[in-house]
Amino acid sequence: MSGVARVLVVEDTPTQAQLARALLVGLGHEVEVAETAGAALVAARDWRPDAILLDIELPDFNGMELMQRLRAEGVDVPVVVVTANASINAAVEAMRAGAVDFIVKPYAKARLAVTLGNALEKQALAAQLASVKARLDRGQFFGFIGACAPMQAVYRTIESVAASKASVFITGESGTGKELAAEAVHRASPRAGRNFVALNCGAIPRDLLESEVFGHVRGAFTGASADREGAAKLADGGTLFLDEIGEMPLDMQVKLLRFVQTGTFSPVGSSRLERVDVRFVCATNRDPMLEVQAGRFREDLYYRLYVVPVELPPLRGRGEDVLLIARHFLAQFAREEGRGFHGFSPPAEQALGQYGWPGNVRQLQNVVRNIVVLHDGDRVELDMIPRAVRRPDGAEGDRAEAAPPAAAVPAPGVAPAVAAARVVRPVAEAAEEEMAEIVPLALMERRLILAALRHTGQDVPRAAALLEINPSTIYRKLQSWRAEGLLPTG
Amino acid sequence: MGDNGFAAQLAEDLSEEDLRLVLSVFRTDVQRLTDTMAGAATAADGPAFRRAAHGLAGAAGAVGAAQLEAACRAAMAEAGPLVGLLAEIRAWGEAALGDVALVLTRLDGQG
Repeated sequence: MSGVARVLVVEDTPTQAQLARALLVGLGHEVEVAETAGAALVAARDWRPDAILLDIELPDFNGMELMQRLRAEGVDVPVVVVTANASINAAVEAMRAGAVDFIVKPYAKARLAVTLGNALEKQALAAQLASVKARLDRGQFFGFIGACAPMQAVYRTIESVAASKASVFITGESGTGKELAAEAVHRASPRAGRNFVALNCGAIPRDLLESEVFGHVRGAFTGASADREGAAKLADGGTLFLDEIGEMPLDMQVKLLRFVQTGTFSPVGSSRLERVDVRFVCATNRDPMLEVQAGRFREDLYYRLYVVPVELPPLRGRGEDVLLIARHFLAQFAREEGRGFHGFSPPAEQALGQYGWPGNVRQLQNVVRNIVVLHDGDRVELDMIPRAVRRPDGAEGDRAEAAPPAAAVPAPGVAPAVAAARVVRPVAEAAEEEMAEIVPLALMERRLILAALRHTGQDVPRAAALLEINPSTIYRKLQSWRAEGLLPTG
Repeated sequence: MGDNGFAAQLAEDLSEEDLRLVLSVFRTDVQRLTDTMAGAATAADGPAFRRAAHGLAGAAGAVGAAQLEAACRAAMAEAGPLVGLLAEIRAWGEAALGDVALVLTRLDGQG
């Protein structure tokens, strides 16, 4: 037997209790004695033994019932039943009731050592197995929801690579959770206490990208009225996530390559070299090698960044995960919106499971949000699901109508402040263009909301964030405009 | 010694101090449980008699008092007059206590 264990002896006859105590202490264990089943329940809860040595006949209730009660209370401790020869049948019955072994009285110290050792070892193996199984069958991993085999592979890769500084290259269709994966790499790493800085290379005007990444000094360009730190500096000690890296202009790729190679950069307008310690995580929804072959992505930068690839599967390839994720969002949004939804009806679940989800998890998120905002009840019925999603043929349907599949909403606690700030300007510009004439306020509101939706690729939560209103407001407005015939109905 | 090998296993497994302690507890158990059985026999309380016999059988088994244990187990199974069963248990109990005394004397002599 290895190590010291805490053994609870449940025995009402003092001679046997004293003998068991003496033998177990002699074997190096810690011992508590309970003279009744009731006292054993309390001790099992409070003292948390590693094993229980149990006499079946007890004054208040018997050992069988005790084992049942322990199980009902979630006390998972190996129980060795102590029995006299005459009651071997009772011992067999006890093992059927969950005891791991039995020992016949009178027992020698050596026999006790072997029996208890086996029980403890069995328990340790079961715990290890449960732990391994839990790791292999995880339904959640950082912000991810999903238990399918491809996602388990993603979790394992992220977990394996997190501790190193190796660059991670995430690929996957839009809406599959690339930013979530990048955050998971950061949060699982020793850098978790430092900044996670996300930059969407596709959302930043080309001429501003260098300044966004490396910062600038006062006077570097028109409007640069003060020194400003870029994402590289903000991410020092942490993680720099370059989303949509395939959108980065080639001239900027040269500068990024130098930064990746040397860890140094110069802010725009400065010749001063700055050194930082940054872990790079990149993402794209394109095939990076095809981009290299097409001459849109530098090969040397590709090999620098494509060290550990993480490929996120599309939602249509994730089987039952669709329902896991839908239920998760339903619970979350119902709570946020004060709705009574507790689940989906079987036909509703079938429709969700059959749909192709071209916008992936983000689209599913928006569909569930839409349902929760526009309906209420105990469960989501089939007719509450947008028509395009519940097509019986499982076709993907009209993406804009089914739900807006667009950019991710930053997760709480890891808000990509730099990226978020950059996308405000184009929306404002778009809105300004539409304000060339003075029109009724309601019309202006509709135009502004629709402009925000167009700008964000129909991503309601992101449009709402840009407009600084609740996503529910947009869903309600859309519903109302459709009802009034101001928008095509779906 | 009434029972061959009485406390032999205990002597092998326990320190002298623990052995003295276990035998001391056993002596108390024998006295307490036979008194309980006597009370139950007087009151013709079969279940109480058998519960006490069960406890004494366990205690006797633990120290290797095989004949006392056998008498107790027989009493648990039989439906005969409790007084008669008690007399046999008392006899084997006294024999076991004699064995305890012998072992303790031997230990004192070694000490």
